[in-house]
Amino acid sequence: MTAIDSKGRDQSNDDSLRVADIQALDLALHTSAGLRVGVQDGIVHLAGRLQSLELWESAEVVAAYVPGVRGVVNRIEAPGAPGAGRTVHLDLNSESKGGLL
Amino acid sequence: MAADISLAGPLAELPEEIKAAVVKRATRSRYSAGQVLYLQGEPPEQLFILVSGWVKAIRISPEGREQAMLFLKAGEIFGDVAVFTGIPYPGTVIALEEVQCLVIERSAVMDLITGHPELAHAFIRKLSERIIYFVELVEDLALRDVQARIALTLLKHAERSDDRLVVPRRSWTTYDEMATRLGTVRDVLSRALRGLENEGLLQVKRNEIVILDEQGLARRGNT
Repeated sequence: MTAIDSKGRDQSNDDSLRVADIQALDLALHTSAGLRVGVQDGIVHLAGRLQSLELWESAEVVAAYVPGVRGVVNRIEAPGAPGAGRTVHLDLNSESKGGLL
Repeated sequence: MAADISLAGPLAELPEEIKAAVVKRATRSRYSAGQVLYLQGEPPEQLFILVSGWVKAIRISPEGREQAMLFLKAGEIFGDVAVFTGIPYPGTVIALEEVQCLVIERSAVMDLITGHPELAHAFIRKLSERIIYFVELVEDLALRDVQARIALTLLKHAERSDDRLVVPRRSWTTYDEMATRLGTVRDVLSRALRGLENEGLLQVKRNEIVILDEQGLARRGNT
């Protein structure tokens, strides 16, 4: 059955993106177990902890590269990374970048 | 046992055996400032009861802008909307300081309210209070400009101390935080506060905002 939220949006697309992002992060960084992923309106939300700023940046790139992703809110904790609680205003992709998977 | 957990809000009024049942089915978790409790768009697997500290609930709109939805203190319940509807969490919740929570799995929540109708009443009361809050927020955003919203928000949170009316500034309160809470951006908020200060309605200090003209500020809030 297709899940529809209170605004009548089909959640299945976000659910599929979430699965694809978890797989992509696991494939690229082998860190999916330590990361949390949420997706709404094609925007990916990331949290958890990584060991370096390089991994933090890579996670964001990998998450954004999944076809259909419009933007990424990176709240992962890592040494030198911006605070997870900072205010975020995204410059959204009009189209997904596509291509990794 | 519940003895070492002090529940505030509507849960505090529940009979001891129900509070004990809640605590028994919950996991105690601690989060440090900045840690994410749950993310917007994550599956609704857990309900949270805040035992101590403050958290904020924020939401990224489909256009990519962040809006602070709620600032929650001890006794508040959150994650409930998603748990009861089965849709993903509608916002992200982040600890603003060291916090302690009771975390209850969705299936355990359903068992508890089936077994203890008084607990369901407490959840309904919390949800009803939140509906009233959001109705007022919608009214604020639709009908009032930023200065009016600031005026009313300050009056709502003001405390009387030594004949002064002040809004204490918590350690985690930043201009960005205040701006997202009021549905605006930092620059607009700064200008609006300066405007109210120039009108002699308030004085912005490092650790507090002093309300100099309560009636004037109330009039400004309702224009």
